[in-house]
Amino acid sequence: MGSKDEWQRYQEALRSGDRKAAAEAFRRYQEAKRLEGKGHSRPTLVNLSTKAKAYPNAIPLDRVPEELEKNPEFFELMKRAMTKEK
Amino acid sequence: MPAVLAAADFDLPTRSATGYLLRWIVPRLEPVHLLSVLDHRQAFVLFAPQSDIIIGTGHGDVDVFTGQNESIILEVGKYDPREIEGKVIKLLSCQCGVELVPDLVENGAACAMGYTDDYLWVMDADLASVPWADKEFAGKCLLPVVAGLNVLLDGKTAQEALDTELTQYDCYAELEEDELIKSCIEFNRGNAVLLGDGGASIRARPSLALPFKLIPPPPLVMPLRA
Repeated sequence: MGSKDEWQRYQEALRSGDRKAAAEAFRRYQEAKRLEGKGHSRPTLVNLSTKAKAYPNAIPLDRVPEELEKNPEFFELMKRAMTKEK
Repeated sequence: MPAVLAAADFDLPTRSATGYLLRWIVPRLEPVHLLSVLDHRQAFVLFAPQSDIIIGTGHGDVDVFTGQNESIILEVGKYDPREIEGKVIKLLSCQCGVELVPDLVENGAACAMGYTDDYLWVMDADLASVPWADKEFAGKCLLPVVAGLNVLLDGKTAQEALDTELTQYDCYAELEEDELIKSCIEFNRGNAVLLGDGGASIRARPSLALPFKLIPPPPLVMPLRA
């Protein structure tokens, strides 16, 4: 399964609202990227929100699944950003 | 009139965003830069009224833009309109486009640009001391911002600057193979707003001098907040 297919599964999981499935799908996406030789040094997802938000400003990509599972506000941000659903 | 550049650099996202401004924008501006520990409200109040453009990068929310260590620089209802009157303002921050940007325009800014949701990108944390070298990840979101700012500094209108930024996002998104980075580019593009007079412009600044085109700044050695 290529990273593009895994990405679609990740988007589907976000749309369905299932945090655990989204986390698992993101892990598989990361693994597919690694297998394609596109793993990188220390990629980190960052944002410029204030500490008033319930999610961190910097999340290493390998910790995104964990954050998706435990943090509903981060899940909603990912849903808005990755599926373009408001 | 000098430019005011308020740029925090105390954590990974601010270091990455400010790094791009240091590399490509700072050399074009007069030396009134509220960088790093100088990026706080007292200094802003002192210099902002004299400026024609305010460029800010730092953490933000719907009604607030912050500087170093999230100290408040601009907050809805808590600034003197003299600080922003007649100015072109660009805030690279999260969600300021929702309340703060409209408030700035209502209080007399010529125009203001921001984002209506979080500004998201992927950066390489290993390049935190030389953030401008992170072309593979951060550059794809931050170089369009730099391109828009350069258009403003060329003396063109705010609308032309925004159009340039949006066009650059489109180019990077089209070429991007990494779905996560592509989604971030498209998300930021969709949230970019310009309110006020799109025809507003500032005095043109000299283009980037040759040495700065070739030679990057020295590495940033200030420790980052955990």
